[in-house]
Amino acid sequence: MFLYQVRIAWKSLLRNPVLSILLVAGIAMGIAVASVFVTAYYIFSGNPIPHKSDRLYYVELDSWNPQRAWDEDNPQRAPNQLTYIDTRGIEGSDIPTHQTAMFQANMTVQPKGEDLKPYREDVRMCRGDFFRMFDVPFLYGGPWGASADDAPDPVVVIDAETNRKLFGGENSVGRPLTLDNRNYTIVGVLDDWRPNVKFYDPTQGASGDPEKIFMPFNHVEPLRLTTSGNTNGWKFTAGNQLEDFWASEDTWLQYWVQLDSRAQKEEYKAFLDAYATEQKKLGRFQRPLNNKVLSVMEWLEDQEVVPESSRTMLIIALLFLLVSSVNLIGILLGKFLSRAPEIGVRRALGASRRSVFIQHIVECELVGVLGGILGLGLSVIALKVINRMFENQTPFVLDFNMVAAALFLSLVAGLVAGVYPAWRICRVAPARYLKLQ
Amino acid sequence: MIRLESIQKVYRTQHVETHALGGMSVHVGPGEFISIMGPSGSGKTTLLNVIGLLDTFDGGRYWLDGVDVSRLSDRDMSRIRNQKIGFIFQTFNLIPDLNVFDNVDVPLRYRGLNGRERKRRIEEALEIVGLTSRLRHYPAQLSGGQQQRVAVARALVGHPKLILADEPTGNLDSAMANEILDLLEKINEMGATVVMVTHDAELASRAPRQIHVLDGRLIDFETEERAAPLFNPAHSDSNGLSI
Repeated sequence: MFLYQVRIAWKSLLRNPVLSILLVAGIAMGIAVASVFVTAYYIFSGNPIPHKSDRLYYVELDSWNPQRAWDEDNPQRAPNQLTYIDTRGIEGSDIPTHQTAMFQANMTVQPKGEDLKPYREDVRMCRGDFFRMFDVPFLYGGPWGASADDAPDPVVVIDAETNRKLFGGENSVGRPLTLDNRNYTIVGVLDDWRPNVKFYDPTQGASGDPEKIFMPFNHVEPLRLTTSGNTNGWKFTAGNQLEDFWASEDTWLQYWVQLDSRAQKEEYKAFLDAYATEQKKLGRFQRPLNNKVLSVMEWLEDQEVVPESSRTMLIIALLFLLVSSVNLIGILLGKFLSRAPEIGVRRALGASRRSVFIQHIVECELVGVLGGILGLGLSVIALKVINRMFENQTPFVLDFNMVAAALFLSLVAGLVAGVYPAWRICRVAPARYLKLQ
Repeated sequence: MIRLESIQKVYRTQHVETHALGGMSVHVGPGEFISIMGPSGSGKTTLLNVIGLLDTFDGGRYWLDGVDVSRLSDRDMSRIRNQKIGFIFQTFNLIPDLNVFDNVDVPLRYRGLNGRERKRRIEEALEIVGLTSRLRHYPAQLSGGQQQRVAVARALVGHPKLILADEPTGNLDSAMANEILDLLEKINEMGATVVMVTHDAELASRAPRQIHVLDGRLIDFETEERAAPLFNPAHSDSNGLSI
């Protein structure tokens, strides 16, 4: 019976193609707009590392101004980055399975040969644990080891794009790379890796690309590095040497740990509190204890990675779809009532109100699905245009979930548009129209 | 087959009440062929709609094939229409974008028969009306007489016990009208009860029994042997005549 109703619905759409195109286009516009904004929301709000996001924790230590909270609107929040002193203070803990301090630096890449000119590139300074914690995929080689971290060895990991650019995509492991006039040995080449948001460091925007070069964190002092990212401070720093900056209360580093069990997490939290209590004796950490270990999703929420504007746009987009659907109610009502004589015949021949209702809902859902497919096509085009406009941002791509969501929304839109007209037509008294056909 | 007792039907608007059926009682036995005549607005189509469960009524009781159908749900009435009644209309009421086969198929679809059984019945019904060569034709490609024969096939494809025909020859010339009447007589001979509304006294006279409706009241003639009494006190009620 269902297939029969689909067939009737299809014939009904073909009977008045112009009106049907209008109906489908109405739904398609709503779906296209909704899909674009739902995709944006979905990408920003999605879990970037779902298989272990509850084992990876971002560390926050409240070393901030005792007179004023880091976020005065929400005093419970701790600073979102750490001081250099504190990263050095907590890195000795053997509680985490993996851990890394990190920041973004900027260096000049000096390619061999004459074809490519030197260029500036962001470099992530981190421990080899970075790759192990975040399951970063490797095309060639692998992460550097703990001894390379401690030394630090002159090693780097580069991403696939840099490998293509500098080495034509060949296995470059073991080959040298010159950065700021120093030679480093490539130990690993990443495979394409593009989390939906730059969750490990959203402090400069969550939609940016991962860095293209990675280097052991401990180069920070020998190379006299500082961050190319954000720095926040509350206390006047005496002196203007780099050592003064490293010793200051300025926060500019991120710190991640992998804690595989609840007990491990509690032990590490206690360790952080003990560290802060120890620091209090040295005159630091004068605020109440407010240290945090935030899971990936807690961290992203804390950083408001899903922008409020994105939520608002999502609501507006869904309202747009609702309005599109509601606008179709009148058209569908007119279309259905014009078929009342045929419905009278079908009723006379044994169709119940319920079956007439379902038949018309099927027709609305067919309009919805066709609109959904067309809308998806339009949204793919729209997303391509958006991605081209914002090349360095997180690419908006419709994945299976988004396609399913769009089709679901199109069914809902069809239902919203069709319920009232279908209800009206199924209430038509059959006898009234039998002589009118 | 049909037993109506004191059926009343009132159409109401804000200011006016129209008594379409004023306490009408009718009894039609199984296998009868009756015609209903009367001037326009007399209530004959309303009577046919009530008999066909296409319209509700405001008073009285109705038994169809021994079942009290006075207060049934829409679903039950639809099931009875589908299984026990076949309809033939003046304007044929074929669905324009379905071909002959699919038009005849409509009542069977609502009965949920499987494809093979539906095909068998459709071919059988079209055989009876002589249209097996027109299976894939659309209504617009058929003459009026052929369209009405498709409608007859559609009415009898479900093997109903009751055929209701509302002015089945009203849009046809006399030759075609006679063909349709021949078909109705054939269906009646096959055992179905036939109730036909018509303006045409000559065609009506081919039915063994005639009922005249006037102002929502009923006058019955049995044409074969005797004229039925115009008024039978034993079955009358305060609002109308009964036979």
